[in-house]
Amino acid sequence: MKALSGVAVRAIAAAVPTDVARTQDYEYLNPEERLRFQKATGIASRHIVRDGQCASDLCIAAAEQAFEYLDWSRDSVGVLVLITQTGDQPVPATAIVIQQKLGLPQNCVAFDVNLGCSSYPYGLAIVGSMMQSLGINRALLLIGDVSSRVCAKHDKSSWPLFGDAGSATALELDEHATPIHLDLMSDGSGKDAIIIPGGGLASKRPPPLQGTVQIEASADGTLRRPDNLILRGADIFSFAISKVPLSIRRAVDAGGTTPDDIDLLVLHQANKMINDTIAKKLGFTPDKVPTSIEHYGNTSSASIPVTLCTNASLFREARTIAVSGFGVGLSWGSAVLQLPANSILTCVESDAIY
Amino acid sequence: MTIEAFIEKFSFAIEVEPSTLDADTDFKALDIWDSLNTLSIIAMADADFNVALSGQDVESSRTVGDLWQVVKAKSKLL
Repeated sequence: MKALSGVAVRAIAAAVPTDVARTQDYEYLNPEERLRFQKATGIASRHIVRDGQCASDLCIAAAEQAFEYLDWSRDSVGVLVLITQTGDQPVPATAIVIQQKLGLPQNCVAFDVNLGCSSYPYGLAIVGSMMQSLGINRALLLIGDVSSRVCAKHDKSSWPLFGDAGSATALELDEHATPIHLDLMSDGSGKDAIIIPGGGLASKRPPPLQGTVQIEASADGTLRRPDNLILRGADIFSFAISKVPLSIRRAVDAGGTTPDDIDLLVLHQANKMINDTIAKKLGFTPDKVPTSIEHYGNTSSASIPVTLCTNASLFREARTIAVSGFGVGLSWGSAVLQLPANSILTCVESDAIY
Repeated sequence: MTIEAFIEKFSFAIEVEPSTLDADTDFKALDIWDSLNTLSIIAMADADFNVALSGQDVESSRTVGDLWQVVKAKSKLL
């Protein structure tokens, strides 16, 4: 895969809602199980939206913070891509609604992309390629999910894992920018590892599901609605520890660098055991692998920007980082990129509904 | 690698004494067994045997010996 040249990251911002759900308060696990869950996953708390707040709201809050920091004219933004799997409505694309809410011009390209945990490297590739090939100077890459809205609260295999968050990455054409090296992968044979089976048109093929809401017991015995998320954690775990280190290594190799040249490794925050294993395989010590999972849980598509912004103090100087996102699809990808000094803004809390 | 070595790694992964397990142990019937142990076993197989076990591999094995057969078969494919 060719490197993405001439595109620079100018700012990265992230927003989470204010309400906190603590692992120690989760009523469907007993106190001993809560401790064990917290130790294994690393998740002590998550931030969860109140009724009415959407992924778009969290992404707009992050975008507003980026605009304030950069002092960009809204008219200068030519691309707005939103990556989410929990958009505001099935149709139209949420990005187009955000174009109007953010006051971006009508000559701004706006569309949604349906990806989850792999969103960050994919988003850099999608937006950066469009900027380069179409000559669009400035872009906003918004990435966020409100996973709490699609998990059943009693589902111990999903509810205590996910937190809600939105993010904004501001990108600009810059002929002096260090090339971004990418590795992007897909494997649809793993589609059932993380899936919301109902709600799409395939679930309405004959014979159609009866009624508007149907509760069904999955193979694990948990009752879920067809539009609830099912997560098969063991399969994701196995996939992540075997495939992700190779992907990161390919992205690092593509730049002619070694892990020693990478200041920080920023991984999708799915589970502490997964990330410890990946870091160990690649020879990264824990001090080079910042986290956010302890405060915010698995923030799905937004986890990489959320982790950056949670650790904003590490980015007061320019950094070369490797990022890797992996999960639903299966889809995974890695990128090696440079972040200019002070480009990572501190994670904000927002309950605003735009 | 022998099954004795596998049993030792298995017991370490799920934090029980090696002497409490043998090839015939029905591991999912152990009091301490839960879904997080499945992840620990997958991590162990990866780290110590360089084998990628799936959730289904663990699910469809009844005894420690059954799972050892899966690990052995998968490591031969490498």
